[in-house]
Amino acid sequence: MTIRTRLVGWYAAILTLSLLLIGIGTYHEMREQAHNEKHGKPVDPPMEEAEELVFLVGLPSVILGLAGGWWLTRSALAPVAALTRSAQRITELNLTEPLPRTRNGDELDKLAEVLNDMNTRLNDSFMRIHEFTLRASHELKTPLTIMCGETETTLRDESLPPQERERLASQLDELRRLARIVDGLTLLAKADAGQVKLAFEPLRLDELVRDNYADAQILAEPKEIRVELAACEEISVRGDRHRLRQLLLNLADNAVKYNRVKGQVTINLRRLDGVAEFSISNTGEGISPEALPHVFDRFFRGDPAHSATEDGCGLGLSIARWIAIAHRGELILKSTPGRETLATLRLPVATG
Amino acid sequence: MRVLVVEDEKKTASFICKALRDEGFAVDVCHNGDDALAAVRTTPFDVLVLDIMLPGRDGLSVLGQLRGRKNTTPVLLLSARGNVNERVEGLNAGADDYLPKPFELTELIARVRALTRRSGESKSTVLSLGDLTLDTVTHRAQRGSTEIELTAREYRLLEFLMRSAGRPCGRMMILEKVWDYHFDPGTNLVDVYVRRLREKIDANFEPKLLHTVRGSGYMLKGRP
Repeated sequence: MTIRTRLVGWYAAILTLSLLLIGIGTYHEMREQAHNEKHGKPVDPPMEEAEELVFLVGLPSVILGLAGGWWLTRSALAPVAALTRSAQRITELNLTEPLPRTRNGDELDKLAEVLNDMNTRLNDSFMRIHEFTLRASHELKTPLTIMCGETETTLRDESLPPQERERLASQLDELRRLARIVDGLTLLAKADAGQVKLAFEPLRLDELVRDNYADAQILAEPKEIRVELAACEEISVRGDRHRLRQLLLNLADNAVKYNRVKGQVTINLRRLDGVAEFSISNTGEGISPEALPHVFDRFFRGDPAHSATEDGCGLGLSIARWIAIAHRGELILKSTPGRETLATLRLPVATG
Repeated sequence: MRVLVVEDEKKTASFICKALRDEGFAVDVCHNGDDALAAVRTTPFDVLVLDIMLPGRDGLSVLGQLRGRKNTTPVLLLSARGNVNERVEGLNAGADDYLPKPFELTELIARVRALTRRSGESKSTVLSLGDLTLDTVTHRAQRGSTEIELTAREYRLLEFLMRSAGRPCGRMMILEKVWDYHFDPGTNLVDVYVRRLREKIDANFEPKLLHTVRGSGYMLKGRP
C-alpha cells in the first residue's frame, strides 16, 4: 500500500469521525429542542442554538480533526526521521550495513531500498579504488626491485668514476624513498580493505613507552633537543606489539623532526578513567589551524617547505592513526602555533 | 658455498646472481617452483633464496614440500607483498629469514651469509676484533685496557656488528636484529646510534674500526 493511499484512508476516517461527532451532537440538540417544544418548555432562540452547536459540537470536532491531523503527519514523517538518522550514521567504513526497511512496500520502503542499492554501488566503487591502490603498489614493486638492484649492482663496481658514483647513489636514495612510499601505500590500501591482521596480545604499554623514550633521546641528539619522560604509569593494554611500536616511533620521530634546535619533547603515559593516555609534545613551529584538520590525510604536508628538507614518506601520520583506530583507540593532534604541538594517543586499558 | 635462487622475474634473478657470484658464491637459478624442487633433489645447496610469488607452485608451497621431505637447507624468503603477517607465516612454514621487496643487495648478501654461518657460529663468549673485546656474558666492552660503558641497546648493536665483522650490515638488518623492528621506520635512528657507538669505541683510538658503507650500511673491520 502506498503512503498516499494510507494517508487518504486515515484522513477519511478522521473526517468521518468528526462528521459522526457533529451528527450525534446535532441530533442530540435537535431532540432536546423537539422535547422542549412538545412539553411546552421555552425554546432557545436560533442564535443561542447556533452558538451551542458551534461550541458543544463543532469545537470538539475541530479538536478531533486537529489531533488526528497532527498524529497523521507525525506517523507519516516518522519513517523519514528514522531513515535520516540511519543515513547520518553511514560513512565509507560501514557502507555495507543496510538501512532498516519496513518491507510494507510503500514509497519510503522503496526509498530505503534505493538508498541501500546506492550504498552498495558506492561500496563497490570504494573497493575498486582500494583494489586499484593495492594492485598498483604490487605492480610498482617489481620494477622498483629491479631498479634498486641494478643501481646497487652498478655502485658495487670499484672502477666507477666518483662523479658517476655520486649521481647513482643519489638516484638510489630517491628510489628507496619511492620504495618507502609504495610500502606505506600498500599497508594503507590493505588496511582499508581490512586485510591487515593484527597480532593482539597483552602488552605492558609502559615498557613500550620507555623503549620509545630511549629512541626519542637518540633521535633528538643531533638537534640537541631535550627529551623528558614526565610520567610513565604501569599500564597493560591488548595490542599488536610491532604496530604500537611503529606508532610510537612515528610520533617520536615527528616530535623531533618538526622541533626547533635545542627544543623540548615531553612524553607522558597516564591512566585516566580506564583509558591509557600517551602524549608527546614538542616545541616546534606548530601546525596552523587551517592545516590541523588535514594532518592525517595521506600525503598532506602542512608546510610545503618540509617536503624538501625532511624525507618522510608523507604517510606516517595516516598510518599512525590507522594503528590507533585498529586498536579501538584514537589519535589527536593539538597545536598552538609557535609554542607547542601535542599528540595524544588514547587506548582502552586491558581488563582482567 | 652453493646457493639456489628461485625467482621468476628474470632481471631480478640476474642481479641477485651477479651480486652473490661477486661475493664468491656458486649460484644456480630456477624460474619456477617445480624446477626448484627437482634441483634440490639432485644437488645439495647451502642456502635457498626463494621468491614467494612464483608461477604455478608458489614459494610457500615449495618450502612446505622441502620441509616435508625433512630437507633442512636454510631458506631466505623474498616477497613483494611484504607485511608482518606474511613474515610470520613464512617463518612458521619453516623459512629461516624473510626479506621484503624491494630489498638492498647488501641486506640480501648479509642475510645469505648469516644463513651459511648459522650452523658453524662461534660459540665463544668473548668476541674480539683488533684490540676491541666484548664479553657476551658480562656485557663488558674494552678497547685495549680501557673499559667502554654501553647502554643495553648499544651493547646489542655492537654485538651484532662484531658477530658480522668484516661484512657490511644493512640498516634494515640492524633495525631487525637490534630493535626488533620489522618495518622501515624512515628515521635516521640507526645512523645516530652508530654515530654514538663510534664515539665510544673509535673516537680516542686507532685504528678506526667502525666504517660507513656508502649507500648500504655499516661495517666493523680491523686492519686488513
